[in-house]
Amino acid sequence: MKKRFLLVVALVLVAAMLVGCASKPSSVLDKIQKDKKVLVGTSADYPPYEYVDDAGNKTGFDIDLMTEIAKRMGVELVWVDMPFDSLVAAVSSGKLDMSISCFNYDTERDKIVDFSEAYYTTEDAFVVSNTFTGTIAKPEDAANYKVGVQSGTVQDGWLTDNLVTPGLLKEANLSRYERVDQAALDLANGRIEVLMADYVPVQALVAQNPNLKVVYHGELSTGPINIVLPDGDAPLKAEINRIIKELQAEGFIDKLAVKYFSN
Amino acid sequence: MDFGQFVSYIASGTVFTVGVTLIALPSGLLVGSILALLYVYGGKTAARVMKVYSTIFRGIPPIVLLFILFFAVSKGINLSAFWAGSLSLGMVSSAYQMEIVRGSLLSVSGDQLMAARAVGLSRLQAIRYVVLPQAVRLAIPPWSNEAAIIIKDSSLVYALGVPEILRRAQLIGASSQRYLLAYLSAAIIYFLLVFATTRLLELLENKLTIPSNP
Repeated sequence: MKKRFLLVVALVLVAAMLVGCASKPSSVLDKIQKDKKVLVGTSADYPPYEYVDDAGNKTGFDIDLMTEIAKRMGVELVWVDMPFDSLVAAVSSGKLDMSISCFNYDTERDKIVDFSEAYYTTEDAFVVSNTFTGTIAKPEDAANYKVGVQSGTVQDGWLTDNLVTPGLLKEANLSRYERVDQAALDLANGRIEVLMADYVPVQALVAQNPNLKVVYHGELSTGPINIVLPDGDAPLKAEINRIIKELQAEGFIDKLAVKYFSN
Repeated sequence: MDFGQFVSYIASGTVFTVGVTLIALPSGLLVGSILALLYVYGGKTAARVMKVYSTIFRGIPPIVLLFILFFAVSKGINLSAFWAGSLSLGMVSSAYQMEIVRGSLLSVSGDQLMAARAVGLSRLQAIRYVVLPQAVRLAIPPWSNEAAIIIKDSSLVYALGVPEILRRAQLIGASSQRYLLAYLSAAIIYFLLVFATTRLLELLENKLTIPSNP
C-alpha cells in the first residue's frame, strides 16, 4: 500500500514536472557515455541479491552483474544506496540513470519507468517457523493464517489481489513490513505465522535461522527480474538488453546464480 | 565480522547525522530568530505573514518536504540527498525555532520595554540591551529540546539513502542478520549524541544564569 501511495505521489510529481519541461532531454545513454560514468541505484539490504559485506562494500548477485554491465559499457559504475521504496521514483525523476534491486515487472511501475529484459527468473516461497502446525498444500491455504510480506513487493500485490480482495484473508491478518528481514524477525517471534517472499533470499534466510522452514515454493507473483530504466529511453534500453543477452549467452549469469544462490 | 568492526561501521554514519544537524539547526535558528523578531516587533502585517509561515512549515512532516525537495524540484535545482534532507529539516525547524524565540521575547514583560524607553533608550536599544539578553537565557531550555529533536530527525534522510546511522544499521543488520545488535548500537549512538548536546547546553545555561536573578 505504501508503495502504491509513493507511486501515486511520484506520478503526480512527474506529471507536474513534465508540464514544466516539454522538450524531452536526449537519451540518458549519451549522458552516461559523455560523463564516462553510470549512476545506479540499489537497496543494499536484500541478501543475496544486494547487501554489504564485512568491510561495508556492496556485494551480491545484482551488484556483480551490474559491475560487469558497466565494464562492458566502458564506463565507471557509481552506486547509490537508497531504500527500495525510493528507487523507482529516483529513476523516474532523473536522479539515477537506472536501478537494479531484484525488481519484478509491474504494470504500475511500468507507467513511470521502463524495464530491461529479464536477466533472471525467480520463484515465491512461504516460510513458517518450525513450531507451525498448520498446512499449506496450495498457495491459497495461506489465507487461514496471519501472513507477513514486504510492503510494495510483487508478493504484496499477489496477496492483496488473490487473498485479500476476494475476502479469503482479512486485511488485519496481513502485516506489511518495510523489509523482508523485519518480517522474518516477527515470524520467529510468533507475531505472524506465514511469511511470503522471494524464494532465493528466503533460502539464505532459512539457512541463517534454523528455526524457520520453507513449506511451499513456486512461481506465483514473481518470475523474471529486470533492471529499472528511465521511461521511454530506447537507446539505453537497447544497450542494456544487448549486454544482458550477451552475458546470458556466455553463461555469466548462471555462474553468478551458482555463486550466490546455492548455499 | 567482529564486534568492533560492526559497531564502527554503524558509528561512521555519525558524520552525516552531525552534518545534517549542523546545517539544519543553525540555519533554522538564524531564520527563526529573524522571523521571530519580525513577528514580535515588526507590526501587524509582518506578524500575520510570520503566522502563516509558521503554520505551514509546522504542518508539513519533514519527510514529505524532503521528498518534494529531492524528487519534485529536482529538474530545476539538482539537490543531493544530503542537502535536500538538511534543507527540509532546516525549513521545518525554522518555524519551530521561530516560535521558541517568539515565546522567549514575549516572556520578558512589556513593562520593561516601556521602562527602558522611559529612561531614554530607543526602541532598538531597548530590545537589544534589555529584552534580548533575558530572552536568550529563557530560550535555551526549549531550544535544547529542539536540538535533540533535530539530531533524531536527521535519521529521516535514510529514506533517500544517505548512509547515516540508521541506514547503516539496516544494511549491516540485513547482511549479518543481527538486527537487535544493529538497532541497539544505533540507539546508543543517537542517545550519546543527544545526551552530549543537551549537557553542553545545560552548561551554557548555567554559565549564562544571572546569579541575583535565577
